[in-house]
Amino acid sequence: MNAAEVRETIGGTWTERPYGWKLCVPVAAIRDAALQMLRCEARFSALVAMPAEAGGLRLSWNWDVKGVLLSIETAVDWDSLVPSIADFCPGADWAERETRDYYAVSFDRRDTTAPLMLRTGDEPGMMLRPEGGRV
Amino acid sequence: MSYRIPVGPYHLALEEPYKIEVECEGETVVSSSLKVGFNFRGIEWLAQRKNITQCIALLERVCGICSNVHSMTFCMALEQIGGVEVPRRAQYIRVVVAELERLHSHLLWCGIAAELMGFETLFMQFFRHREAVMDQLESISGNRVNYSMNRIGGVNRDIPKPKVVCSTVQDIHHTVSGTLIPLVTSDPTVAARTRGVGVLTRSDAIAYGAVGPVARASGVDADLRRDCPYLAYSDLKFAVPTRQDGDVLARVIVRAQEVLESCNIVRQAIEQVPEGPIHVSDIYSVPAGEAIARVEAPRGEVFYYVASDGSDKPTRVKVRTPTFANIPTVSAMVKGADLADVPLIQAALDPCYSCTDR
Repeated sequence: MNAAEVRETIGGTWTERPYGWKLCVPVAAIRDAALQMLRCEARFSALVAMPAEAGGLRLSWNWDVKGVLLSIETAVDWDSLVPSIADFCPGADWAERETRDYYAVSFDRRDTTAPLMLRTGDEPGMMLRPEGGRV
Repeated sequence: MSYRIPVGPYHLALEEPYKIEVECEGETVVSSSLKVGFNFRGIEWLAQRKNITQCIALLERVCGICSNVHSMTFCMALEQIGGVEVPRRAQYIRVVVAELERLHSHLLWCGIAAELMGFETLFMQFFRHREAVMDQLESISGNRVNYSMNRIGGVNRDIPKPKVVCSTVQDIHHTVSGTLIPLVTSDPTVAARTRGVGVLTRSDAIAYGAVGPVARASGVDADLRRDCPYLAYSDLKFAVPTRQDGDVLARVIVRAQEVLESCNIVRQAIEQVPEGPIHVSDIYSVPAGEAIARVEAPRGEVFYYVASDGSDKPTRVKVRTPTFANIPTVSAMVKGADLADVPLIQAALDPCYSCTDR
């Protein structure tokens, strides 16, 4: 499948960006979208988290389809549970663990979200720490 | 009887700290777990506290081998946000340096793989050519690593002796195609150590999101230089080698063939480079906005997300390195393998743990 066919399969209103296409979805739709992506042989590329201007976090799951980047984006509150896709997309496992390290995001459907870059026992949310705020 | 054997974080077969624990039944690996983070430097956190000029130097230090790719991809993201048009000559120079860096990376890896196979002569041959590439990078930039070539809107230096660069890559092409690839593909020692070892199937490569030569050796026909051309790649002719076997031998052959393609790209880029400026005027900030830039680094796709609020400091820099995507595939590769093959299998990824940890 090419990127246009994948967009059509997933549906919704996609926005074209200089670097690819973006689709904004509610957080509950993330797993379905990811499942469809894998069925279309899209490769998971990166999970980007960043604080949103309106508060909370923006999360963007980025997928590569034959060189075209398709981004599925959602916005969540700081204390929201975000659905994990690592159970069927092993490539997302480390991305989720790192996102927890950096922004203290909690993923459901995981037995554990062990630290990836931080040491065992470190408080997650490293990117939110002020300068000199090493725990 | 089952045994749990830790390898690392400090081990003879590892150039950098990393840990793999393998569960074995006799000599056969049944499962594994990986641990990274020993080189964690918090570069994404640091990037939000540096101005963009400092960030170029900071991000060049994500990796000691593909350092140029990181500063280049960061600059490309900022150029996208700022709508900066990079002079054509600078785009060609970026291609030449990026491909020399790929040659350096692949030749280094081929040498290390040869050493791990116990093939010292092959190791010396690959490293002899890698040294010639390092000399060229030094003559262009003044440095053997961390070339400081990139700036927002172009490059800092021209290529002073293009004919010497061309003759170096022609020499490499001649030896790799005429001697080294036939040797690798026909030698019984290499075949015994690599054929059918550490197989990553195409479906696993997709599920894990593998990138670069690791993915291409498993039948995933993907290369951003061709599929989503950037810089001057759309003007240059090159093939994207792939293999279907997904084993260590396939990864060796794909990288060796990519060495030949990089030589061709460098030669074409130097022949076609247009006259003109090599950078635009100094840029110290970009307008508010966000961008994603992706580049085909030696080990696979590098992914940068950069956000700016219009000040001279980025509000977010996300770096996804190729090894970050590739290391988890080791779990699939070592399952069912002989314990003795584990070091070679993990090395066949051409892993960079500093990149991964950032």
